Amino acid sequence: MLKAAIIGMGRMGVTHFSILNNHPDVEFVSICDSSNFILKNFNKQIGIDVYTNYRKLIDKSNLDFIIVCTPTSSHAPIVKYSLEKGIHVFVEKPFTLTVAEGQELVALAEENKLVNQVGYVNRFGEVFCEVKKQITDGLIGDLIHFKFEMYGPTVTRPTKASWRSKKREGGGCLYDFSSHCVDLINYYLGMPDKAVGSILKKIYSEGVEDAVYTNFVYKSGVTGQLMANWSDTSFRKPLYKIELQGKKGKIVADQHAYKVFLMEANEEKGFEKGWDTRYVTDFSQDVRFYVRGNEFTRQLDYFVDCILGKEKNDTSTFADALVTDQIIESIIKDYEERTNK
Amino acid sequence: MKLDRIIFGDNQFFGINHMSEEKAQAQAQKFKDVDSIIKVVDTAYDCGIRAFMFNTHDKVAHVCDHFRANPERYADISLYPSMPYAHKYAHAVNEKGMTGALNDILIKGNSAKQIVTAVKRGFSAVTKKDMAEMMKLLIDAEMKMFRGLNVKVIFLQNIVTDLLYGLGFKNILREYADYITEEYNVEPGFITLNLPGLVDFLIECGIENPIVCSGINKIGYLMNSDRESYEEAIQNKPFRPMAMSILASGAVPPREAVEYITSQKNIRSIVFGASSKAHIEETKNMIEQLGDTIPMELSRSVPEWSRGQVTGNRDRIPTASPKTPNRIIEIPREKNSNRGVSIENH
Repeated sequence: MLKAAIIGMGRMGVTHFSILNNHPDVEFVSICDSSNFILKNFNKQIGIDVYTNYRKLIDKSNLDFIIVCTPTSSHAPIVKYSLEKGIHVFVEKPFTLTVAEGQELVALAEENKLVNQVGYVNRFGEVFCEVKKQITDGLIGDLIHFKFEMYGPTVTRPTKASWRSKKREGGGCLYDFSSHCVDLINYYLGMPDKAVGSILKKIYSEGVEDAVYTNFVYKSGVTGQLMANWSDTSFRKPLYKIELQGKKGKIVADQHAYKVFLMEANEEKGFEKGWDTRYVTDFSQDVRFYVRGNEFTRQLDYFVDCILGKEKNDTSTFADALVTDQIIESIIKDYEERTNK
Repeated sequence: MKLDRIIFGDNQFFGINHMSEEKAQAQAQKFKDVDSIIKVVDTAYDCGIRAFMFNTHDKVAHVCDHFRANPERYADISLYPSMPYAHKYAHAVNEKGMTGALNDILIKGNSAKQIVTAVKRGFSAVTKKDMAEMMKLLIDAEMKMFRGLNVKVIFLQNIVTDLLYGLGFKNILREYADYITEEYNVEPGFITLNLPGLVDFLIECGIENPIVCSGINKIGYLMNSDRESYEEAIQNKPFRPMAMSILASGAVPPREAVEYITSQKNIRSIVFGASSKAHIEETKNMIEQLGDTIPMELSRSVPEWSRGQVTGNRDRIPTASPKTPNRIIEIPREKNSNRGVSIENH
């Protein structure tokens, strides 16, 4: 039985607790949060040990792994302390606020041979995984151009209440929202050579951007665009729309389905010439326990399986997330250079 | 209490479609105004459907106003509310933090006097850090829209049910069930995406013969951990299953879907949603033709309260049609000075 703890019991921390609490190989022994409401109720309901100081929790809990779901600015010190104590770490996205911090953590995890993962949950989403497979298998041929969009109603009026509106804590659309989309670009195509024409646009927030628009250029000649806006109330919940054009055709996908346009039929894969749609119901797999989406369960079960040696720790690792952070930094750098900030 | 065999669902009204975002958007556009929703409800009612499941979406409050304004038209209607409408809360919490969101929800729709009572009660729950008490406040806030209407079951949405199940918060689920039974005089229901595990958990919580509603379909879509464990649970476990999402977002043709569901003999109710008269009639007729076997109703141990013989609040006065004499929703009364929001129709 693996002994586990969660630092940061906000929405994601509570979700992760719920998902792994029934896992046959996991036992939660402690949680840490700054909210007395959370700590008091968890202790009262299930008798778990509670802490307000993560160092004390780590020192006293004899853990196998830890899940870190605090605001992004505190990821680096908590993850570092955990790795130094020989504890496997799952940390929520985005990884860290500076590439330098991320590099140190990647090295430390490798040095101590610890399983490490960042919560880029789309890498466990069924449609996105299928699309990745189709691209890798060459269904649409060599890639020419992509367009990744992400919209949602996260911030719909001026607000200062949450850490999400504070830049130094890792708030803002770029880090907190669009990083999911940036990571998909990283997952499918890797690090671009450069970001150009970047725009970080404020809509309602004062201290942070609410929308991100940028273009990517790869040495291979592939180009692409990212458009993310977390202040778009026309969407009921966050929506992804990704489009990849290749020399043999095109893929258009969201969380529910993907459409393929092929210039010639691909009999081996069963795709007709012209448009052909695959719905998530065609290939969806049930999970051990479902709350908020089966990709959330899949990502944590994968993490546990990596610790148990059943899976190879090779996706959504610290190293992968560091590349995503590097892409994010390149967008900020491009924007600041252009606007002389 | 007998569950209705056919219950008309409401996902189609609120831009919820698990298969296609385009379809969802098209539906959201189609049902932009409340009149268009009422029109479809009327179509279903005129096809002979008497039971409706409604999430506590803001628009549903207006649909309920319409029901109250036309008591004769909807004399036989039964409602199966489900709560909370999660996106409403996620929004509020994102923007205002937990306390700000709570205050907003408590204040909405109340008079000045009620706001004072609600906020006082909310403040007390927050300062005492009492999760169960906060939940009760939110239930009262959500249920206000159904006042005076005939409610049969109040469902907890899967996002909350499954979260509490995962967390292992037995007392909170139990308190939910007790509160719904005692304060609202109706049965609690639970929506889930993890039916087999949840049923065991509810029984461990001391909730006997629970009403559990879940997506159940021929292809096993979103049936966790698998379809076989669902079938085994439906066959053998002491609970009252209700099926929704029987078409698996359109992946199963209607006839096959209904054949599969009606072959699961213990399923009490089937929830389905549609927008056109033809689809509503077709599905209803198919369920009636293929599923003429009425499931075992009282073959299992049914607790006192689940037959509607409740222990508390005997002094409720039905306010709707005499044809539906029980389970008219009254908002809980104050039991003592700092408990209970006294709500009348203002």
